[in-house]
Amino acid sequence: MTTLQDSPSAGGQSLPHLPVARRDSLWRRFRRASPFALIYSAAILIFYTIIFIIPFGTGIWLAFQNWDFITNPKFVGLRNFTKAFTDQYFWLALQKTVLFSVVEISLGLTIALLFALALSQIIGKWQNIYLSLYYLPVITPLVVSLYLWRWLYRPTGGAFNTLLSSLGLPEQPFLASPQQALWAITVVIIWAHLGTGIVLFLAGINDVPESLFEAARLDGAGFWQSFYKITLPLIRPVLVYQMVVSVIGTVQMFEAFFLIPGPGFSTRTLALYTYELGFRALNLGYGAAVSLIIFVILLGATVFQLRRWQIEWEH
Amino acid sequence: MATTADSPLRPAPISPVRRWLISGRWSKSVVFLILAFFSFAMFYPFIWLLFSSFKTGADIVSLPVTLLPKKWTLSAYLMVMDPTRANLPIAYVNSIIVTSGTVISVLITSSMGGFIFARLEFPGRDYLFYFVLSTTMVPFLTLLIPLYIVMRELNLLNSLWGVWVPSIFSSFGVFLCRQFVYGIPRELYDAAKIDGSGDFGIYRNIILPLTKPILSALAIFVFLGSFNAYLWPLVILNEEKKLTLPLIIARMANRFGGTDYQAVMAGSVLVSIPPLIVFFIFQKNFVRGIALTGLKG
Repeated sequence: MTTLQDSPSAGGQSLPHLPVARRDSLWRRFRRASPFALIYSAAILIFYTIIFIIPFGTGIWLAFQNWDFITNPKFVGLRNFTKAFTDQYFWLALQKTVLFSVVEISLGLTIALLFALALSQIIGKWQNIYLSLYYLPVITPLVVSLYLWRWLYRPTGGAFNTLLSSLGLPEQPFLASPQQALWAITVVIIWAHLGTGIVLFLAGINDVPESLFEAARLDGAGFWQSFYKITLPLIRPVLVYQMVVSVIGTVQMFEAFFLIPGPGFSTRTLALYTYELGFRALNLGYGAAVSLIIFVILLGATVFQLRRWQIEWEH
Repeated sequence: MATTADSPLRPAPISPVRRWLISGRWSKSVVFLILAFFSFAMFYPFIWLLFSSFKTGADIVSLPVTLLPKKWTLSAYLMVMDPTRANLPIAYVNSIIVTSGTVISVLITSSMGGFIFARLEFPGRDYLFYFVLSTTMVPFLTLLIPLYIVMRELNLLNSLWGVWVPSIFSSFGVFLCRQFVYGIPRELYDAAKIDGSGDFGIYRNIILPLTKPILSALAIFVFLGSFNAYLWPLVILNEEKKLTLPLIIARMANRFGGTDYQAVMAGSVLVSIPPLIVFFIFQKNFVRGIALTGLKG
């Protein structure tokens, strides 16, 4: 975010040796502006009006209505929001979302960091080869990965259960079990996103000056000590960035819970709940209200994480 | 901390094991082997995908399951390419239309926006830019239902236009290009201006060629995002002939999922090929792109 600030806020048109520039009228500034810029601005403004302002406004309006696409929308005040707080399915979906998000992020980032640390020990051609291998699940369409894993997870005859029984371990129901389904999906998503984390962490680790490690080694610091004292603090921005982005990504994860769901409501997260309210149950008002609650949760989570990081960053 | 306080004349005793660990000589081979094991584990699902796609229908459901096909056959591929059984070829065309449309429009609008917001002067420029940037704060999920309603009003449901329209501009792309244009010396712009070039001419002849590195990185991310997109096309598209590849895979999984899973596997292999080609062609740009884009993954 610091990169935002290096923009020259005063444009280059004002001459530096004239301390007080006369403020032109708005009309003259428009006249002087290049048509290219004005046409582009008009286009981008129209675009975001259609794609953002109108839908966002509609969403807020809709959250206070009762609408099923067929009859006329009916104003119901705050009822959709109060309904959410007493709706056990909403709380269940929120619980699944938080569980998935927290476990996916903490496990996923830890594993990615370990991989990146190991990869940083290897330099040259092989680092790139490994990196490409770890990146393959990221570029594979998620739909493909999901159906592939569902196939591997099959309770009878699935590859994982075949592997387990050949090792003498008990076979598992995986996606067929309400207790395991969420974690089975979490593993798939960790696997699918691991490459991104590894690449970003590795870029961060490679940016740490080699001289710092050398100095630490001369002082007798071991691998883990220099990791805790040098690497971890220096890649902290990468870590925080990934956490913020991952929270936004995991809360909005849809395909996995839609395409390879567990039994009943065991894997119905808020993203899936919103979709089902809007496009299956046709309860558009309530769906809009739930999606606004998701917005507030994500905004809160993002601000909280950035704040926390900033505070710790200062000392 | 303690080690720095010690006198350099009297170094702390180091055990042989620790010396070996510190020396770093072990790390190369051990780390290499561990990573080799894990990369195999990560690649393992793809091996199943590939081999299963060459199985027959009877083979894929037979127990105990084996990795290698008992009899190698291309029947699954023929099945998914058969227009009477699956619409994979049409979905290919649809996906390529939407993806190339998205990539081209995002590259044009982002590079233009980057130049305009970084170098040109007009009233309200910074407000407009921060507005564009702030739209990323609202998650797509929040806009899903109302955006669908807007698309319905615009009569764009069940058409590839409806899939494309929300991604003509990318606020992330504009932001990225703006940062990049700041890195291009201002003098280039001023000199061209003095030579009498118009702003669009400067964009085309100077800025566009110079922003190529960032644009190629952006192109890869936009390609993958658009090609692999599922939720928005799912909401917009309905008719079988209009579906994009991820949607057709899901339909195929429902249709063939019971007995002909090898067809799903074959379809999956075919769907994964374009992203893989793009990845391997632009692999260099990929890693550089991640460095250039700062942090975005």
